[in-house]
Amino acid sequence: MIINAKEAFNPDTIERLVQRAQQGEQAAFEQLYQQCYRRVFGLCLRLLADQAHAEDATQEVFVQLWHKIAQFQGQSKFTTWLHSVTSNVAISYLRKQKNWLQKVVSLEDSGMEQAEIMQCQSLNGLDKLILRLPERARLVFVLHAVEGYRHEEVAGMLNMAVGSSKSQFHRARKLLQEWYDNE
Amino acid sequence: MSKPTFEQFLKQQLPRQQDQDQLPEPQRDLWQGIENAINMPDPASRARSPWIKLAGVAACVSAGLLSWQVIMTQPKQDTMAHMSAFFEQEKQTLLVKYEAQPALTKDWQGPLQELEEAEQAIKLALMKDPDNAALLKMLAQVYQQQLDLITKVHQPQWQQI
Repeated sequence: MIINAKEAFNPDTIERLVQRAQQGEQAAFEQLYQQCYRRVFGLCLRLLADQAHAEDATQEVFVQLWHKIAQFQGQSKFTTWLHSVTSNVAISYLRKQKNWLQKVVSLEDSGMEQAEIMQCQSLNGLDKLILRLPERARLVFVLHAVEGYRHEEVAGMLNMAVGSSKSQFHRARKLLQEWYDNE
Repeated sequence: MSKPTFEQFLKQQLPRQQDQDQLPEPQRDLWQGIENAINMPDPASRARSPWIKLAGVAACVSAGLLSWQVIMTQPKQDTMAHMSAFFEQEKQTLLVKYEAQPALTKDWQGPLQELEEAEQAIKLALMKDPDNAALLKMLAQVYQQQLDLITKVHQPQWQQI
């Protein structure tokens, strides 16, 4: 599929599509999907570090979006709202994956293996490193450094102390630097 | 040209993380499944039946009791045996639940068998090294993949993705 960059980044177009989707127009929602799915998938992949799970979570985001779009009041930019919905869906997806098995074996998920990362095409240099991070460090780094949430907000989203969010962020930076320097 | 420092690299890359040309692509078409899901009848209207609600409450209570049992009875040793026992319970519950429901593909038993073979190989390795955290994690992942597979091939809302 060829994406018209000018069209894709035209906020007026997104705004109009949102309004039409709010009226229940599914064709407009599909166009909205075409304009935004890479953003959503990118964030899901960075948070979940798993191609298949990120694809499933992206679908879940858009299904929820269809049901919630009428609630969007336009007080913030649509993309800001979209990122917040996506973050919440991806985090709750991750929690759903953590079921009884994690209770038996309380091990933190390590990031993606390098071989898996090599299979994911179209990843930029920073993403290749982010996906290797262990789960908590990765979540905090993505939400704070990439998405711009404050540590207080990240702590609330991930149900951890603010101090833990800060220490996980430093852990992430340290690992990223180590890997970057050794590349 | 010399390699930028890590700080320079971050400063350069972070603001570009939302650029369309920097974003990764999914490997399959996701819209078809979304379209199917949003055109399905509203699950809320189906859940109005008191029997469905009652069944939901019963399922929640059972899940709660199972979790409580896991936490309260979990011994510190022999993690593999307990993990396997609880996995078997979960697997049987799922298989019974989906007994009357057609599966998405006919050949799902093949991948399941492959996962079962992987499970056996990891268990053998664990017998020699029972505290190996990496092996325990691999076993947990193989168990999870089996449960995910059984669930995925039977979930009607995602059958046409």
